[in-house]
Amino acid sequence: MALQIFIPALIVGGISAFLAAVLSIADALVNNYGQVRITVNGSKTYEVKGGSTLLSTLADEKIFIPSACGGKGSCGLCKVKVASDVGPILPTELPYLTPKEKKDNVRLSCQIKVKSDISIEIPEELFSIREYISEVSSIKDVTHDIKEVFFEFDDEIKFRAGQYVQLIVPQYRDIKGETMRAYSMSSQPSVRNGVELLIRLVPNGIVTTYVHELMKEGDSVRVLGPFGDFYLRESGADIIFIAGGSGMAPIKSIILDMREKGIDRNAYYFFGARSKRDLFYLDMLQSIEKEMPNFHFIPALSEPLPEDNWEGETGLITDVVDRYLSSQGALEREGYLCGSPGMINACISVLTKHNIPEDKIFFDKFG
Amino acid sequence: MKQTPDLVKVQENMRAGQITGPGFLGNDERNLVDIISEDTLKVEELGLTNEIIACKLEMLMHQGEKGFGSPVNVDNTFIVIVEESRGYIPCPFRHGHLSKKVNINVRNLSTRKEIDYTPISIHLIREHGFYQGKGSIYRLDPVETAKLLELI
Repeated sequence: MALQIFIPALIVGGISAFLAAVLSIADALVNNYGQVRITVNGSKTYEVKGGSTLLSTLADEKIFIPSACGGKGSCGLCKVKVASDVGPILPTELPYLTPKEKKDNVRLSCQIKVKSDISIEIPEELFSIREYISEVSSIKDVTHDIKEVFFEFDDEIKFRAGQYVQLIVPQYRDIKGETMRAYSMSSQPSVRNGVELLIRLVPNGIVTTYVHELMKEGDSVRVLGPFGDFYLRESGADIIFIAGGSGMAPIKSIILDMREKGIDRNAYYFFGARSKRDLFYLDMLQSIEKEMPNFHFIPALSEPLPEDNWEGETGLITDVVDRYLSSQGALEREGYLCGSPGMINACISVLTKHNIPEDKIFFDKFG
Repeated sequence: MKQTPDLVKVQENMRAGQITGPGFLGNDERNLVDIISEDTLKVEELGLTNEIIACKLEMLMHQGEKGFGSPVNVDNTFIVIVEESRGYIPCPFRHGHLSKKVNINVRNLSTRKEIDYTPISIHLIREHGFYQGKGSIYRLDPVETAKLLELI
């Protein structure tokens, strides 16, 4: 009786094991792309193991393509021009590509896989982006929801005031794998032993939750950078800086850099906050105002509380800027913006209304 | 309705830590198809459609956006606070739709009840009839939401 039960079970088990082995071998054969060659800008060639995304394969070769989401297909920054056939554009790429980019065979490097020899074109400056191993040397609360964190590097970093880095946090809680996000540097380029970032807690944000709840001084964190083309252009035009919240970061870096370099252009910094508890660095910026007579700091509260005893500008920052520009003559101006995408769009409308051309308005593209 | 292999994949995308930290399912153990079916039935019983609910949520979001993070009074009925972050969230159904990372808080001034949602919530309701799993921080129960939005 026992044998009658045991033999069929053994046969079924054997067949299952055989099928599993066949599947496993087939998977290894089908998904084994072996060594493939990536040619970059027609000159540099890399022998790599095929099968992974172009973004991660290039990162293994220490070529870091800008990406604010770390390869999850949600930022659209990691575009590269592909000069060989890598198959049709995927649905996950479509929302990020303009008609011209589609025509030029621009692809998201996080979405395409390296399965055969491939030829790509990337800006030469990406070769200077590096990975730094940092130690979190200080964490300070600058408001109720923004932390100022200094990441001390194992080597010197060179960057332009206004640029950003990518912070990589490890797997934690339910989060699968490492997660990467982009943050502008708030320290100035003369600080070479690391970078200071301002990180606002985003409700349910993966990296910001990690920074606010788990990160502690002494932790080791990987940082990639520098990235970005948000920096002060050389000209004699008046400068309109507009920021809100952690958008303070790149503007602070630019202003400190201007002070150190003695750049004495007329500059107006409009900083929007809801109430006094959302304002920070007031003392520092007011002290810079005294040192640099052409620099003017205009904080504005959209919803001051009675206990704030606020006597400064009130209203939405766009209204404050609009009032200021309406009271001034037509001058040559440049706009430098950092904040939420909605605020940036509204600021662009105000600045263009006052005859600042769109090509003279600069902001981070990683929104 | 049947939980197809495609829906199994989508449900996997919805788990905590896949696309967002908390995910879209909360502690709901049901199959995605059952979550959607049960909420569809609730919406039908209310005499509403997903489109009507999504439109009201979207209208309130657009009104709130004008405040750049400050509260906006809408028709003396709702207070809306819209807080925007950088970046996008792809739809877990993975058909190429992206939503901005925005938190929308709507408080009904007379009932004092409030809800939080995001642009991806609006998309999931409108296009997929998905109001998120029970226990999800952005779950919008159709009945409670319709009441708060004064749709019934």
